[in-house]
Amino acid sequence: MATTELKSDAIFELLKRFLETEEGIAVKNKVNLVYQFNIAPKKMGIDEVIYTIDLKKGEVIKGQYEGGKPDATFSLKDEDFIKLSNGKLNPQIAFMRGALKIKGSLSAAQKFTPDIFPKPAKL
Amino acid sequence: MAMRELVTGGAACAVPGSSSSSNPLSALANALTGSSSKTRDRIKEIPTSTTTGTEPPFYQDATAEDRLKALPGADFDHSFSRHPTLQSSEFLRNFRTADQNGFADAWEEIHRSGPPPPPALLDHRLPPPQFQPTLEGPPQRVLSNFLHSFVGSSHGGIPFRPAPLPALGLSEGDKQCIRDRSSIMARHFFADKSEDFINAQVNALLSSLDIDGDVQAKGPFAGRFRELEDYWNESQGAPRPGPPQTDGWVAEFSQHRIEHGDPNAWAHSFEQQHGPNSWASEFEQEQRLVSAADQMRGANISNLAAMEQTRMLAHTLAQNNDPKFQNSKFLQFVSKMSRGELIIDDNQVKPAALSSPGDWATEYQQQYTAGPSWVDEYAGNQASSDFCKQDHKFFLTWFCQRIAALSLDLSNKKKKKLSHGPDQWANEFSTEREQSGPVDDQWVNEFSKLHVNDWADEFGRQVGEGAFGESSADNWADAYDEYLNEQVVAKQKSDAPRGVYVFSDMNPYVGHPNPLKEGQELFRKGLLSESVLALEAEVLKNPDNAEGWRLLGIAHAENDDDQQAIAAMMRAHEADPTNLEVLLALGVSHTNELEQAAALKYLYGWLRHHPKYGTLANPELSDSLYYADVARLFNEAAEMSPEDADVHVVLGVLYNLSREYDKAIASFQRALKLKPQDYSLWNKLGATQANSVQSAEAILAYQQALDLKPNYVRAWANMGISYANQGMYEDSIRYYVRALAMNPKADNAWQYLRISLRYGGESKVFLNGLLMRFRSLLFVPLKATNAHGKMRGARDSCIIASGAVAEEYSGWEVGKSCMDY
Repeated sequence: MATTELKSDAIFELLKRFLETEEGIAVKNKVNLVYQFNIAPKKMGIDEVIYTIDLKKGEVIKGQYEGGKPDATFSLKDEDFIKLSNGKLNPQIAFMRGALKIKGSLSAAQKFTPDIFPKPAKL
Repeated sequence: MAMRELVTGGAACAVPGSSSSSNPLSALANALTGSSSKTRDRIKEIPTSTTTGTEPPFYQDATAEDRLKALPGADFDHSFSRHPTLQSSEFLRNFRTADQNGFADAWEEIHRSGPPPPPALLDHRLPPPQFQPTLEGPPQRVLSNFLHSFVGSSHGGIPFRPAPLPALGLSEGDKQCIRDRSSIMARHFFADKSEDFINAQVNALLSSLDIDGDVQAKGPFAGRFRELEDYWNESQGAPRPGPPQTDGWVAEFSQHRIEHGDPNAWAHSFEQQHGPNSWASEFEQEQRLVSAADQMRGANISNLAAMEQTRMLAHTLAQNNDPKFQNSKFLQFVSKMSRGELIIDDNQVKPAALSSPGDWATEYQQQYTAGPSWVDEYAGNQASSDFCKQDHKFFLTWFCQRIAALSLDLSNKKKKKLSHGPDQWANEFSTEREQSGPVDDQWVNEFSKLHVNDWADEFGRQVGEGAFGESSADNWADAYDEYLNEQVVAKQKSDAPRGVYVFSDMNPYVGHPNPLKEGQELFRKGLLSESVLALEAEVLKNPDNAEGWRLLGIAHAENDDDQQAIAAMMRAHEADPTNLEVLLALGVSHTNELEQAAALKYLYGWLRHHPKYGTLANPELSDSLYYADVARLFNEAAEMSPEDADVHVVLGVLYNLSREYDKAIASFQRALKLKPQDYSLWNKLGATQANSVQSAEAILAYQQALDLKPNYVRAWANMGISYANQGMYEDSIRYYVRALAMNPKADNAWQYLRISLRYGGESKVFLNGLLMRFRSLLFVPLKATNAHGKMRGARDSCIIASGAVAEEYSGWEVGKSCMDY
C-alpha cells in the first residue's frame, strides 16, 4: 500500500460494501444513476483518481465508467470529498466556492446527495 | 422599550448581534415562568443611570418609562442583550460626542414622524423612528394594560375573557405583529395546555383588539425598516462606533432622507418589495436608471448590464407574492443591488450608502477606473467554455431551487428567520465576501453572467413542473445558510491549525491544587468532558506532563474528538517519545482520520519502541514505510507471543488501515479473549464490524462497550452510525443525541444527527416526542456549548431540529435556545 493513498479510498470502499446491504439496495433503486468522481490528491485537475459509482447496478468501480457516459461527473479534492461525504460540506456550497466541478446532466447532479455515503465508525 | 414594541416586535425586536433579545416578550415570558431568575438578579444590579438618560430629546415622553413599569418584568428585556449597560452607555456617549447639531436634526426628523421610542435606544439597537405615526399616548397604555392582563391570565390558566376596548387605531402592521407574537407567546404561556385552549386564548385576545384571527401574510414585518437597520448594522459592524461613526450615522440618515424624500418613502419602498404595487416605483427607478445611463455615456457597460440584470431579477422576484419569499434576504440583496445601494466594486459587493442617487454616474465612472479587472473578467467570462456554462446552469438551478424552497417551505424558514433576526442578507453577504476573498469571486462572475430571461423562464418552468420535492427543496434552502456558517467555522479553524491543541476557555479547574488527580478521578467516573477540563488545567500547569497529555488524549478519543485527541497525544509524544500507549493511540486516531501514512508511522513506532519486539524493527524502514512490511513485522511479533493482547490490537488497527476487515475482526476478537474487560476493544471490534457492513454484530459489540463504560461517547456515536447506515434513522437520532448530551463538542455527531434528522424527520410526531423527551438532554449540550465556546454546528443542527417540528412548541423552544448563540 503506497503512502499516497487517498482518504477517499476508504469511503468508496465503504460505499461498495454498503451497496450490497439491504439499505444500500434501497438507495440504489431510489437514485438509479451513474456518477463519476474525479478525486485529486492535492490540487484540482492534477493526478486525479477516477471512481465510478454505478447506482444502476449498485457497484463502485475504480476507473472510468465503461457502460457509456456517466450521468454526472464531479471533480473535487480528496480533502473536500471527505468533508462532503461526512456531511461537513454541502455540495451546493462546494460548487459555489469552486471546490466542486460538475459535468453532465443537471438533474442527475441534483439527485446526488452525500447522504448516500455511509459514515465510517471510529475505532 | 415601549409596550407596543415589546408586543409587536417589529423591526426593533429583531436585530443581529443581540439575537437573544429578538423577542422581548418571549424573554419576558421566560422571566415570568422563572427560567431566568438569575438574569433577574443580574438586572437588579445594573445601574439605572443610563436607562434614565440625560439627553432630554431622547425622553421627551416621560410616559415611556411608566409604560415600561406598567408591565411587571418589562425591564428585564435589557438583560437579553449581551452587555446592556456597557453597550448603551457607550452608545449614548458616542452620541453625545457626536456632532450635536447634525444629530439633533436627525433626531428631530425621527421624532416628528413617529412616537418616541426612547428606551429602545438603551439596547444597542436602532429605534424604528417612523414606527407608525398613528399611535400616540393613551391608546398605547390601554393596549399595554390589556396585553398585561392577557399575560396575567397565563398564571392561573384561566380562560382569557375578551373585553371591549376603545378604538386603538392599530395599523395593519401592528395587528399582524400582535397576532403573530401573541400566538407564539401563548404557546409559551400555555405549554401545558391543549392546542385548542391556546387558540381560544389567542382568539379572545385578538377579537378584543379587533384583529382578524386568520393567518395571512405572516412575513413582511420584520423587514419593514430594513434599510435603516442595515445602515445601523453596518455601523455596528465597524470596529467600535466612535464619534466619526456616529457622524456617519447621521450623515447616512440624512442621506437616506434625501433619497426618499419623506417618511412615506418607507411605505413606498415597502410596497416596492412586496407586490404588484411595485410597478410604479419600478418605473421610476427605470427612469432614474436611464438618466444615469445617459450620464455615464457608455462608461461602463458591463456594470450597467449587471445592474440591469439584477434589476430585472428583482422585478421577477418581486412578482412572487409569497410573503416569506418577499422577506428573503436574497430578494433584499437583489433589490438593493438593483437600486444601486449595493455595488459590485472590484469583485467586492459594497454598500453604496454614501452616494446619493444622482451620483450614480460618478460612482460608476470611478468604478470603471478603479476596477478594470472586473470588466476584464467579465469579458473573459463571455468567452467561457461549455464546461463553464454547465457550471453556470447548475448555479442557476441552485438559485431557482433556493427560491422555490423559500416559497415552499414556509414554516421551516419562519423559524429560521426568528432565529436569524432581521434580514441582513446583503450585509452578511458583503462581509462574507470580504472575508473569503478570491475563492468565490466566481460567484460574482456567475452572477454577472446570468441571462435573466433564460433564468426567469427556467424558474417558471421548473416551478410549473413542480420539479422540486419538498425535501430536496429543504436541502437546497439550507445551502446558503450553511455556506455562511461554514465560512465562519472555517475562519475559526484557520486560527487553530491542525495538530494544535485548543483549550477550552473558562476552565473551572484552573487553580485547582491537583488537577491531574482530579482529572484521573473524573475520567475513572466516566465524566469525560469534565475530566478533559481538569486535565487541561493540569497540562497548562505542567506542559511537559506526558501522563496528563496522554489521559487528555484518551479522554478526547473516547469523547469522539480525534482532532483534539491527536493534538493532545502529539504533546504527550513530545514529552515521552517512547510511550507505547501514546503511540498506539496516535495510530488509532490517525486511522480514524483516514490519515494512513501518519497512522502507519506511529504504529511502526510502537513496534520499534516495544521492549520485546523492538528487535524486529529494521531502523532503515522508518523513512519509507510500506504497509506490507509493517504488517509482516507485526505478524512476526504476534507469532512470538500470541498471548500478548496488545500485539493483536495493533494488528487489528493495521488491518483496518488496509481495510482487511475480516482479519481485523479476528485480531480484535483474539485480543478480547485475553482482555474481555477492555471497553475500547469492544468498540474497536464494533467499529470494524460496522465498517465491514456487519451492522447488527457491531451493535452487539458497542453494547458490550457501553455496558462496561456507560459514558463512552464514541460508542454512542458509533451506535448511531450503525443504525443510520441500516436506514433506521429514528433510532440513530436517539444515540446521537445521547452522545451529544455528553459531549456537545462532538462535531461529527452533530453532522450525522443533522443527516438523520433530514431522513428520520419525516415523522413529526416522532420528532416532537423525541425533542420533548430529550429536551433536557438537548439543552445540556446547548448550554455547555455556550459555556465552552460557540459552535455554529450546534446552533445549526438544533435550528434544523426545530424547523422539522416547526409547528410544535418544543421545536420552537429548541429553536429559541439556538438563537441565544
